[in-house]
Amino acid sequence: MQFLNHPTRNLFFTGKGGVGKTSMACASAVQLADRGLRVLLVSTDPASNLDEVLGTPLAGEPTPIESVPNLFAMNLDPEVAAHEYRERMVGPYRGVLPDAAVRSMEEQFSGSCTLEIAAFDEFAKLLGDKQATSQFDHVVFDTAPTGHTLRLLTLPSAWTGYIDNNTTGTSCLGPLAGLQAQTLIYKQTVAALADADCTTLVLVTRPEPSAFREAARTSRELQELGVHNQHLIVNGVFKSQTPTDEIATAMSRRGDEAVAAMPAELAGLERSTVPLACSGLMGVDSLRRVGQTETSHSPAPLATRSHADFPAGLDSLMDELAAVGHGVILAMGKGGVGKTTVAAAVAVALAERGFDVHLSTTDPAAHVSATIAADELAGLSVGRIDPAQETADYTAEVMQTAGKDLDAEGKALLEEDLRSPCTEEIAVFRAFARAVSEGANRFVVLDTAPTGHTILLLDSALAYHREVTRQASQIPESVEKLLPRLRDPDFTRVLVVTLPEATPVHEAARLQQDLRRAEIEPFAWVINQSLAPLDVTDPTLRQRQHHELPFIQEVESTLATRVALVPWQNEPPTGLAGLRRIISAPSSLTH
Amino acid sequence: MTKVQIYDKAMCCSTGVCGPQVDPALAKFAADLDWLKSQGHDVARFNLAQAPAEFASNAHVQKMLAEEGVECLPLVIVDDRVVSRSEYPSRENLAMWTGTVMKPKATLPMASDSGCCGGNSGCC
Repeated sequence: MQFLNHPTRNLFFTGKGGVGKTSMACASAVQLADRGLRVLLVSTDPASNLDEVLGTPLAGEPTPIESVPNLFAMNLDPEVAAHEYRERMVGPYRGVLPDAAVRSMEEQFSGSCTLEIAAFDEFAKLLGDKQATSQFDHVVFDTAPTGHTLRLLTLPSAWTGYIDNNTTGTSCLGPLAGLQAQTLIYKQTVAALADADCTTLVLVTRPEPSAFREAARTSRELQELGVHNQHLIVNGVFKSQTPTDEIATAMSRRGDEAVAAMPAELAGLERSTVPLACSGLMGVDSLRRVGQTETSHSPAPLATRSHADFPAGLDSLMDELAAVGHGVILAMGKGGVGKTTVAAAVAVALAERGFDVHLSTTDPAAHVSATIAADELAGLSVGRIDPAQETADYTAEVMQTAGKDLDAEGKALLEEDLRSPCTEEIAVFRAFARAVSEGANRFVVLDTAPTGHTILLLDSALAYHREVTRQASQIPESVEKLLPRLRDPDFTRVLVVTLPEATPVHEAARLQQDLRRAEIEPFAWVINQSLAPLDVTDPTLRQRQHHELPFIQEVESTLATRVALVPWQNEPPTGLAGLRRIISAPSSLTH
Repeated sequence: MTKVQIYDKAMCCSTGVCGPQVDPALAKFAADLDWLKSQGHDVARFNLAQAPAEFASNAHVQKMLAEEGVECLPLVIVDDRVVSRSEYPSRENLAMWTGTVMKPKATLPMASDSGCCGGNSGCC
């Protein structure tokens, strides 16, 4: 890992969930601490598994890691931070203002913005305020999954820009208003991120086209924010040592092809390649070996399950999914688990049963759209929710409706508020509600959805809205009916997609909890890209198989009522033929 | 110059752009206040979530909140006299209360008691 040769003060690890960014961040922190440098490792991931990886229970302040002198680690818990922030804002008014007013304030500070702001605030303290970390030589950030992190990183620019440009003082700053005094720290945070002598942004990815695309997008967006000192880690690169193992050979080839075809903005970055580990990286000893030439394989343990024991493939769910004849199927899960592929495969299978199916994807590369359109399947249409487009449309709509009767100054004021960071979120939410409403007379398959948390917020927002307006007609019908539709098991089926590994399974479990809080019960879990049911002989892959078993077991026994298992594919699952293979039972895929 | 104070419900933005649907009345009211300011008046707008201290320090507001709850919001106070409660007044009314002459133009004013992105709107 070359960036460790001349490490900057801040090292910032980002990437999709499940690409191994916690392992890479931990490995870097351990290796720096082993050189005698004082290192603070921080996770801002709401589902941090830093404790698990380091084998030490952590708290919200630096905790020494016993087995690694000089290493301290901490978890920034956004829920706790949000709670403290809310108390800071509301607490002083308990008993001062009437109870109803205090309750109303509390409600306003329960929104998702508060969570984001509180998390960012914590993070900015460490990055923007050098004093806070002055006793450390290096601060290593293991950040949250990409989208969330990006928001955290983008917000300070949006906010500082917003505060600077806002001349009327009536802006949509929301809960940020209480933090305006901290804008200086936010500015320093952005400056620290953009300073190449101070911060390295390490993009972690897997050797897969979708992961590369996502990393390229992150890289581009951060370049735009002025963060130019970027390093790429391609984690989990596999080289087959067993020419007779067809699957191992195919996996080597697929990885090589993905690396060869990586987007130009990534190919230009300084790069480290980390070989596929035999099992999850847990414990300090395995972290010390990351990036060093290794690896003597211990004899591969035998898989303890026979093929017949594994959950059936996606086809086992299709009869039940098709039975209602219409409705919405949502593939939900963290980035990189194959939501788009699962959604497309289900859409194809339903269309082939003769149903009218609309597949709506947020896949930025419109990859699925292109491959299916080229093949053309009767009954299947493919659409796309494009956040930028939705935001532009929504802004135009608001200007034409709410802005219609305003004078020039009024229009300018409204336009200013529409530039706030909230607008995109609402625009996408409305597009999602619209897509769901189309499930009334046909099948709509969506590869993404707002999190359960957002849905829960919608519930209280609608209740509140109705109460204050007493005219529900103001809300679009699709939004009004969204929650009842999502909660109706005969209308909406949620497929929770995961990989058979620790982080993706635990993140998906958290997602399921959020959904249940919103009274949405997932229909089934889909374990994607599993090696477990395949006939492999390569020693690394044998160990990987073995490593998957407890996670498959965990999903089956504690998390899901229905489970489908999709095996790892020799060929990338694109086009009609590839998507049909995804649906087939695993047993038909073993060799 | 007249002192005009508006005490809003707990919400995140004064134009209401962050609710599931923008309320034209809110966008209009924000524009009307902007206009009122441009006419030389001292206009101050407070949001319960963002400026609770202003609510706590005003005896009128405290009393109304205690008696009627948050339903009395928005309150409009002109030179320390409560002139409007529970609704956003029109530009005509604002002009009348402050003795401002309006240019003869004007679209039909619409009063509304609707709210915006208050509560857990998931946006702000």
